Amino acid sequence: MATQTQGSGAVSAVLMAGLAGLVVSLGIAFFNLMSGGHSAFNTGSDGVSWGLPVVNYVFFALTSTGLTLVASVAMTFGNKAWYPIAKRCVWLSLVTLVAGFASLALELGHPFRMLWAVPLNAQLLSPLNWMGIFYSVFLVLGILKFMRIHSGDWSSGTSKQIGLAALVTELLAGGMLGMAFGAMAMRPMWYGNLVPLYFILTAACTGGAFAVLVTCLTYGGTDKMPEPVRRLMQGSLPMAFAALLGLTILVIGYRTVIGLWSNADGLQVWDAIVASPWYWIEAALLIGAFFLLLQRKALAVAAVMVIGGFFIDRYDFVIGGQLLPLFKGSWVPDLIAYTPSTTEWMLTLLAFSIAFFGWALGEKMLNLGAAPQD
Amino acid sequence: MAKWGMVIDLEKCTGCQACSTACQMENNRLPGENYQDVLYYTEGRQPTPTLKWFPRPCMHCEEPSCMHVCPTKATYKTEDGVVLIDWDKCIGCKYCMIACPYGVRFYTDEKPLIEPNIKQVFKGDGDLSWNPPYKGPQQDPKHGVGIQPNGVVSKCTFCYHKISKAPKGTADLDESNPELVEYVPACVRTCAPKARYFGDLDNPNSQVSRLISDKQGTRLLDHTGNKPQVYYLTGGGAAGSAVPGTRSNKKA
Ligand code: SF4
Ligand code: SF4
Repeated sequence: MATQTQGSGAVSAVLMAGLAGLVVSLGIAFFNLMSGGHSAFNTGSDGVSWGLPVVNYVFFALTSTGLTLVASVAMTFGNKAWYPIAKRCVWLSLVTLVAGFASLALELGHPFRMLWAVPLNAQLLSPLNWMGIFYSVFLVLGILKFMRIHSGDWSSGTSKQIGLAALVTELLAGGMLGMAFGAMAMRPMWYGNLVPLYFILTAACTGGAFAVLVTCLTYGGTDKMPEPVRRLMQGSLPMAFAALLGLTILVIGYRTVIGLWSNADGLQVWDAIVASPWYWIEAALLIGAFFLLLQRKALAVAAVMVIGGFFIDRYDFVIGGQLLPLFKGSWVPDLIAYTPSTTEWMLTLLAFSIAFFGWALGEKMLNLGAAPQD
Repeated sequence: MAKWGMVIDLEKCTGCQACSTACQMENNRLPGENYQDVLYYTEGRQPTPTLKWFPRPCMHCEEPSCMHVCPTKATYKTEDGVVLIDWDKCIGCKYCMIACPYGVRFYTDEKPLIEPNIKQVFKGDGDLSWNPPYKGPQQDPKHGVGIQPNGVVSKCTFCYHKISKAPKGTADLDESNPELVEYVPACVRTCAPKARYFGDLDNPNSQVSRLISDKQGTRLLDHTGNKPQVYYLTGGGAAGSAVPGTRSNKKA
């Protein structure tokens, strides 16, 4: 079954928009970073050390994990109905990871030093290290897997083994990213041994959302989709997605209630999170998307809502864990007032632009709708 | 090998910030970015709020979470128990700032905490963050001593450029001993009411060891398991001096 497409008009539009986004974001970000260094960010030593660029990274790195999960439904777990989106998901998992890395690289004090300092002095106790190792290994395995399926080798023994190894490293990487936060016992907002699971669960949601969105953009509506794609997009995919999203909404709800209920120092931030309209926008987006998916309606809209909702969720998580300063300086206010700077937002634009430009380029040149012949 | 540690007597501390100022001069700190700071906070509500203060250097933890998270081992612990940063290995990921329960680390490449931006007035050479008009110790990036370069994290070194030159086997670095005064950390040396003591925690006869055992020295946030090598004396809190178990900004 081949579901080849040269892409609808939307793909070309996304390609152009992505390119424009890249030029604008890189231009502004580089100008500001060159002239002011990281003082172009609103992060500071008095509390929020990891700002919006790290939110971008977490969002896109986990989306990459999620996309690999979606691709594995067909390629590792043998559900053939999911093949028509598998190649697209593998490609997108690579592109989103690059998007995340790009934001992180511009956030680090010495990104190039990292290239030799980490391998030569690896601190095996650091979750950050393992996360970096697993994501880097995935990048290699993901490229190998994509090359295999691009040449038509979907199911040779080697191809399957590479796919399985890629899936395992992505899960370990996403889990390690969760541990990077979850192991921080000094920050109760983050601390917990289930954070890796929370990250993988939410990763699957954003991965699913990107898969649905780009598939809709490719064909421009379910009625225009080739039959195998349409069957999937009107069948098991939205249902599986709805089930996953429903479960995740429940988990977010419990996290919130626990945060509000408990007294541990640091959890006061939940009062601020819930008092912010963004929390309720997130809730409305995710719950709204859940019902759209249940009715198999407006899938692209549902996907955008999920992406928006989880971007807010990542922001609240990463920034919220730092808003209460830890024994810092004199007269530090109760909650730190942090709003991202223009440069930080440009890194968000950059990451989204890389993701969408990269996807559209792949759609144009790499036949992402391909699936096994039998 | 000594295990250097500090004792701060909260009953004696007047909150004068002389330690912070001495540290700032000694270590070329930017205004507001004090390795050693005295935290002020209020406890209680109107009509009986009280102003409290709490001196807080780096704790040079026995189990430093900052070191465990550092992906490049830029943060390390010396044989004599001091936690330092190798500025040549630091990639500026700031994970250590996230993981330190005591908030004692600084990334200088950011908006100035205090205006005007002194970094613009005294511009640094090369990758150094600024060029202070007074000169502290010699630049020693391997031990995180000197003017902080851009893109890396810094923190209190227990004045490693001084204490590492002390004669081997010294039990206490006491500023009243003329032979040792040059090896004493700047904050200890300058403390007018002599609220700070510095010595070898592994030596049971050192003054710091005796003070900790005689006056029940306590450690800040001991539940984190970081095991600070800085101890506080509270005199049982009789004079209103206490180690804050948690901040006063608890849930209302
Ligand atoms: S106080 Fe913070 S920076 Fe100092 S050793 Fe302990 S964890 Fe590290
Ligand atoms: S900022 Fe530097 S010292 Fe801190 S964890 Fe990262 S590499 Fe280590």
